[in-house]
Amino acid sequence: MAVEIPKALSDLPVSSPRWIGRSVMRVEDPLLLSGRAEFIDNVVLPRMLHCAILRSPYAHARIRGIDLGEAESLQGVVAIVTGEDAQRWTQPGPTLPENWGTLCLATDKVRFVGEPVAAVAATSRYVAEDALEHIQVEYESLPPVADPVKALEPESPLIFEEHGSNVMLQRVFKYGEIDAAFRDADHVYTEKFRWHRVGANPLETFGVISQWDPIEESLTCHGSFQSASHMALGRTLTLGLPSNKVRLISQPHGGSFGGKGGARGTDISALLSRKAGGRPVKWIEDRMEYLMAGGSQAWDRHYEASLALKRDGTAIGLKVKLLDDLGATAEGYGAMSAAKPLASFTGCYAIPAAEYDLTIVATNKLPASPYRGMGPPPHNYVLEHLMDIAARDLGLDPAEIRRRNYIPPDRFPYTIPTGNEYDSGNYEAALNKALEMSEYKELREEQAQARKQGRLLGIGLVSTIEPGVFDWNAYAIVGMPGTGVPEGVRVGIDVLGKITLRVGFALEGQGQYTVGAQLLADYFGVELDDVRVVAQDTQSAPPHFGPGGSRLGVAMSAAVLGAAGRLKDKLVKVAAGLLQSKPEDVELMDGMLRVKGVPGAEMPVAQVAATMLTRSDLLPPDVDPSPEATYVWTAPGRTPADEQGRAKTYLTAANACHVVLLEIDPETGFVKILKYFIADDCGTRLNPSNVEGMIQGGVAQGVGAALLEEYVYDEEAQLLTSTFMDYLLPTINEVPMTEKAALVTPSPFTPLGAKGVGEGAIHTTPAAIMCAINDALAPLGVRATEVPASPNRIWSLLREAKRTP
Amino acid sequence: MTTARQVRLTVNGVAYEAQVEPRTTLVDFLRGDLGLTGTHVGCEHGVCGACTILVNGRSVRSCLMLAVQADGDSLTTVEGLGDGKLHPIQEAFREEHGLQCGFCTPGFLMATYELLQLNRSPSDEEIKDALGGQICRCTGYQAILSSVRLAAAKLRE
Repeated sequence: MAVEIPKALSDLPVSSPRWIGRSVMRVEDPLLLSGRAEFIDNVVLPRMLHCAILRSPYAHARIRGIDLGEAESLQGVVAIVTGEDAQRWTQPGPTLPENWGTLCLATDKVRFVGEPVAAVAATSRYVAEDALEHIQVEYESLPPVADPVKALEPESPLIFEEHGSNVMLQRVFKYGEIDAAFRDADHVYTEKFRWHRVGANPLETFGVISQWDPIEESLTCHGSFQSASHMALGRTLTLGLPSNKVRLISQPHGGSFGGKGGARGTDISALLSRKAGGRPVKWIEDRMEYLMAGGSQAWDRHYEASLALKRDGTAIGLKVKLLDDLGATAEGYGAMSAAKPLASFTGCYAIPAAEYDLTIVATNKLPASPYRGMGPPPHNYVLEHLMDIAARDLGLDPAEIRRRNYIPPDRFPYTIPTGNEYDSGNYEAALNKALEMSEYKELREEQAQARKQGRLLGIGLVSTIEPGVFDWNAYAIVGMPGTGVPEGVRVGIDVLGKITLRVGFALEGQGQYTVGAQLLADYFGVELDDVRVVAQDTQSAPPHFGPGGSRLGVAMSAAVLGAAGRLKDKLVKVAAGLLQSKPEDVELMDGMLRVKGVPGAEMPVAQVAATMLTRSDLLPPDVDPSPEATYVWTAPGRTPADEQGRAKTYLTAANACHVVLLEIDPETGFVKILKYFIADDCGTRLNPSNVEGMIQGGVAQGVGAALLEEYVYDEEAQLLTSTFMDYLLPTINEVPMTEKAALVTPSPFTPLGAKGVGEGAIHTTPAAIMCAINDALAPLGVRATEVPASPNRIWSLLREAKRTP
Repeated sequence: MTTARQVRLTVNGVAYEAQVEPRTTLVDFLRGDLGLTGTHVGCEHGVCGACTILVNGRSVRSCLMLAVQADGDSLTTVEGLGDGKLHPIQEAFREEHGLQCGFCTPGFLMATYELLQLNRSPSDEEIKDALGGQICRCTGYQAILSSVRLAAAKLRE
């Protein structure tokens, strides 16, 4: 039976919502604050062993032999696995594009520094690491390639000889009348951009405990899995197990941001458990392993892009040529990050035509992983910088050129040339709000004064889209199959009226358990504390995906409201019988099942649920004695992608306008952020504090990407930034405390009008900072087009400016 | 491997006596030997601050210290905050949404505890100075700053 999912807060069965839409305190916090959350490294199982992994010191080498030496006889060592075991028991994991993967342990050759070669299970991690020192691997080094431009040359070393080339994917996609647009343009601005590798770096690295059951030939893993069901499916493929013999249990995890990784580590620990006769094997990735060989790295990009405009500043075409260095394999789903920009390719602007010239190439670097935002952060920077280049040449203010190009509010839903549909938005309202908050005019005056004193003040103003609620079809151009990403939950009321929400994902930081509890507390008229949220393993939960692609707030809300609606229908039937009425005359309101228009004819939800469980004699014949309901939601109206990758992909389009004021030290090139303003419109906010927290967190990661963070490889493809002393994460001293305003343009397509949120600020902040840096540098006649704009890079530009008056 | 040595130390007011290998880090000893898993390991090279605890009242990165070095010391970990309920600092972090995933949080709480022992009315600059060695990847620090302000106000009451 179809269930109505409320489209607005006023559609909820409550006179006035007490919980949803408010910044209530999070239900997950007492556990976390008292240090009692069961993060994976806190879990101890009987007879558990600990794994350490021996990794390749070479970026490219043939393995001539492995001598385990005394490792096997070391006291406390129980099992050792190498590529031979992987060959016997596993298959390469799935990759995008297909057939660019390897086994979890190297066999014939290694393709990146840190690739696993052998692994030990021992009674402690200390002993396991001791054992690694006894293993001798004979390598024959091969010439590596670290530069994707060189990797394209015919004489380049090949990462996979069988492919005869390092090109994983090369295609030009044309959308609309792009050639005509460039022919008819009054102005075309072209620039090259370089975005260096950055990555997620959650404070908790990946960890897993794998337990092989030798009798049943099944596998159970506890782990910090971001998307446990997806990881479980991958393991059935790599380990060749029936899918109902792989059970994954997600522990609460210390952040993920897409870059938790873990597939290889899970397979390796599973092999060790198998070899150790089924003893559980724990593998906790250490930070240096994470930085060198984990789900840590993303977006290694060389761009050349052009914007075509009419004389009045109207943009009519955007061409983006991207050379994406995916690293040694395509195992990490990093290529999805090259496809994702199609979901908001032309940004907030009504640009009718586009071209994406995409080359994805393999090198001897770490395989790239997803990272918060999945690709638009660099793409948005390219587009926004081009906008500013055009504005500067045309004598327009950055605010004005954007205002002239926004998709107007009366044209939604709006389909962009790359196929995605934006649900709703009012971009000019966000711009106006940002201008007002920042006192933009005064900022410009301040800048003019500062320039007279020789100070390098810059203002960045950018507008971006945050596509929300991802779908597989968004990644069709890199080979991802499927349409529709399910999120399922189960809602139940027990005999004492307490509510349990069962979900398929673990705590990760976004506060989803609180949102679920808020929704159900309002729906059934109970206190927040009366709702408990419980994570289920992959064999118990309904079909689900979990967090990712700015989806879970919307997807989980929809599933919760769908399940609540089904449960309400059951309660109504039962109550109708008890109240001697008809179901169509009974409604749920403020926690009571009541007969419409008959004052006093009502029963509390808890009483009806208890009756269902304890008085089967009173139930109508077509109602089962179960005050529970399951609902699995997928985004409505999704379409399969056409051969150009066009589809309705992301369900919602949030938008934001950021304004930043910063100053460059002319002596050192150091950038200091002075002020930061955000006007963000993600529709209805289910828990405003959760939203603001995610926005501010995205700002921090954006500051890192724009100014500090960079994975540096040398020409031999050796990583030079394998500690937090070298890979610089922003601290409280680098991240600006921002002033934020909320605009609300509800989505017409989602429950309660909420839009996907969580990635918007990292989509925007790097572009805002880079545009501000270039605004500061503009009088000097130099352009910063390399990200991060670290002091050394800015200093070099300042020197160049001095040399060329 | 070398011979285990005896250590005697106090953690959250409880006296412990244990045999540990000299190479065992203090955080591994707390988590593995004593089962006090509230202290988390984020980098194991002294940068992220997730493992911050108090040793004789001063903040220390327990990944950079060996258990044997704590012989005779008095330690406080996140499990020692509060007394069967949340400490006012923990309450403040909850009220101000000063955490998301919560993994770095015990370190921030301990660093905040130390700060507010030394300075009951810290300025924003003093808070930033005291927390400059703690990395949070989720919050962007703004809510942490307001949490510490609120915690200071609560403790002054």
